[in-house]
Amino acid sequence: MQLTKKKVAGLLSAATCTLLGTPAQSADNGWDVDSAILFYTEDNNRIEVVEPVISATKDLGDDESLSMKLVYDSLTGASATGAVPSTLVQTFTRPSGRGTYTVDPNETPLDDTFKDTRVAYSMNWEKPIDRNNRRNLGFNVSKEYDFTSISANALWQHDTNQKNTTYSYGISIELDDIDPVGNVPEPLTDMLAQDKGGSSDTKNIVDLLFGVTQVIDKSSLFQLNLSLSEADGYLNDPYKFVSVVDSVTGEPIQQLFENRPDSRSRQSLYGEYKKMLSNKDIFTASYRFMTDDWGIDSNTFDFTYRFRLKEGYFIEPHLRWYQQSEADFYHYFLVDGEPVPTEATADYRLGEMDATTVGVKFGKQINDQHLWSVRLEQYVQSGDSSPSKAFGQLAQQDLYPDVEATMVQFNYSFKW
Amino acid sequence: MASPCEVLVESNDAARSRKLITLAQQEADRIEQKFSRYRDDNIIHQINQGGEPVTVDAETARLLDFAQHCYSLSEGWFDITSGILRRVWNFGQNGKIPSQREIKALLPHIGWEKVKWENPNLTVPMGMEIDLGGIGKEYAVDSTLTLLKRETDNSFMINFGGDCNASGPMADGSPWMTGIEDPHRPGDAAAVIQLKNGALATSGDVFKFIQHEGIRYGHILNPRSGWPNPDSPLSVTVAAATCTEAGILSTLAMLQGKDAEKFLDQQEVKYWCYR
Amino acid sequence: MKTSYHWIILCAVLATSGCSSLGVKPWERNLLAREDMLMDADALDLAFDEHIYFSKEASSGGQGFSGGGCGCN
Repeated sequence: MQLTKKKVAGLLSAATCTLLGTPAQSADNGWDVDSAILFYTEDNNRIEVVEPVISATKDLGDDESLSMKLVYDSLTGASATGAVPSTLVQTFTRPSGRGTYTVDPNETPLDDTFKDTRVAYSMNWEKPIDRNNRRNLGFNVSKEYDFTSISANALWQHDTNQKNTTYSYGISIELDDIDPVGNVPEPLTDMLAQDKGGSSDTKNIVDLLFGVTQVIDKSSLFQLNLSLSEADGYLNDPYKFVSVVDSVTGEPIQQLFENRPDSRSRQSLYGEYKKMLSNKDIFTASYRFMTDDWGIDSNTFDFTYRFRLKEGYFIEPHLRWYQQSEADFYHYFLVDGEPVPTEATADYRLGEMDATTVGVKFGKQINDQHLWSVRLEQYVQSGDSSPSKAFGQLAQQDLYPDVEATMVQFNYSFKW
Repeated sequence: MASPCEVLVESNDAARSRKLITLAQQEADRIEQKFSRYRDDNIIHQINQGGEPVTVDAETARLLDFAQHCYSLSEGWFDITSGILRRVWNFGQNGKIPSQREIKALLPHIGWEKVKWENPNLTVPMGMEIDLGGIGKEYAVDSTLTLLKRETDNSFMINFGGDCNASGPMADGSPWMTGIEDPHRPGDAAAVIQLKNGALATSGDVFKFIQHEGIRYGHILNPRSGWPNPDSPLSVTVAAATCTEAGILSTLAMLQGKDAEKFLDQQEVKYWCYR
Repeated sequence: MKTSYHWIILCAVLATSGCSSLGVKPWERNLLAREDMLMDADALDLAFDEHIYFSKEASSGGQGFSGGGCGCN
């Protein structure tokens, strides 16, 4: 006789209920759902993003779980092109090659055609191998108008020392297809020439992760990760320019499409400490050092402190500080008459800068089933807006405008 | 066979906790004394004299109803009359495999269908016995939980020899931590389960088996054949709303042999199965 | 539920930590097992942050695999 095709559990709970005289509670075996929506707004009419996310995790029993996540993001607004401002009206060709837009005197050139929607889906499957080993397989796909990305990752976690120490070994492989509006521009050629190559190009990224998580005592733990990342292929931003300026007046006379190396190796070291205090407040501190062969070094410090209030409420201030050095091939501008370097970018994201985020999160845990929270963050990024090498009219311009962004986020988690 | 038992109470009041623990101990002792088949002063002993109808009290009647229910649900795989097989199976240190002839001699005395149960009267034929050992410990856990819940709103957990039931999460929402003993390494935890409310029960005992000619004979016996099922897992832990329910499911899973996981998947319960 | 019960009596939980050696016993993990004490607690917040900083700065990743999957940088 085989009971394997028969469901006895339901009838059994009813019988147990009669035996014990207690109402049967259903065992919790559903989905854990996390949902959130982010509103991101930059000052000065730059980028605006609305990004809803839903993620669901199903406990498959025996410590096995499957999770899925769907992200939609809609982006509008204008983004800095890398071109320098001028005392004159500047005219730029749209990326499509059809039509132009103008930038007023002394204004930072922004490409106002930015409008994109992105849909990303990811899934993750975690399964124990044996009592001290787990594996985690992930798959991600993301699609936007001019960009398609697929990636897969595998993570192996090994527990030792009575599960007080966990080693993680991971690999991720990402394949991207860049399909710029108006084809791929020929690097370091004049924008006006519209010298475009093929319709698309590719890049691939391999990430390796080695991590150790150590339980320190009943209420604190520490994590240390070493990550290596190798990107190869088309690493340019097809919509970014470097201005060539007149050697006397500093007025831009030509806009070149930027060019970055076709490979990038990064190493980063990440440490995080987390501690629950005796009053159940939680303190988290993390630090990341990153260095790459483009000449960029960065330091990131991040702190949160969760105050536990009455009745499940909590409030969590957040402070993040970031600082990076510029890429070897970062130039605010190129000077006419001087030899054009083989690689050049004026993308502010590869320049020297620092950034501060100040935020606060407020929420409530309702018994075991629901959690809602609201998060408000303010981000300010600034670099050297008047570098000493600026001359002529450039000396009067803001060559590295601050980016100021506000993020408002709502989270709701529930069991389903 | 003695099992270590514990009751954990979240409290700052030691005197109050001690009182709760005393209550728990009294309840467990009461159930043990009432239903143990090793005693000669209880209802089980009286029933097992055989031949005569015995009128039982309400609690015993509920347990018998439940046992009957499990018997029919499991199509005879769970049978409280199968305890007499222990006369020939000795899962001690010097355990040996009984002969088929010895087992065969007992089989006619097994089978709940041969028992006459007309609530509140039970007649067990001569030569047959009932044994509530298969549900007693789990029942004791659930019953003690119900009793203590009436006494306190504090969070507590009952653990009788690995069968547990938690009344709820602690005041701050954190769970009770329970380890599943690793059948490959007795004394070591194979998994640590976070229990908020609900119960766990484990079948499969790391010490109770006979190793003979390379075959492991586990102590959970098939009432039909009188033999342990081949290819049973070493241990099965099931999570359910009550410990009694979890206990029956884990025992039935053991009896499914190589299909244990398939059976458990079908039941849609959370489980940990070790082979 | 056999012959006798041995009693281990334990009351009053949640002592403050004063352990000098690294690591804890499995049953001392009740605080560490809380969802808000996981290293990847608030996973959606982390994912948003990864996405934002990936598009605004030259560094990404570290805690897990580096963001990516976005044409924004």
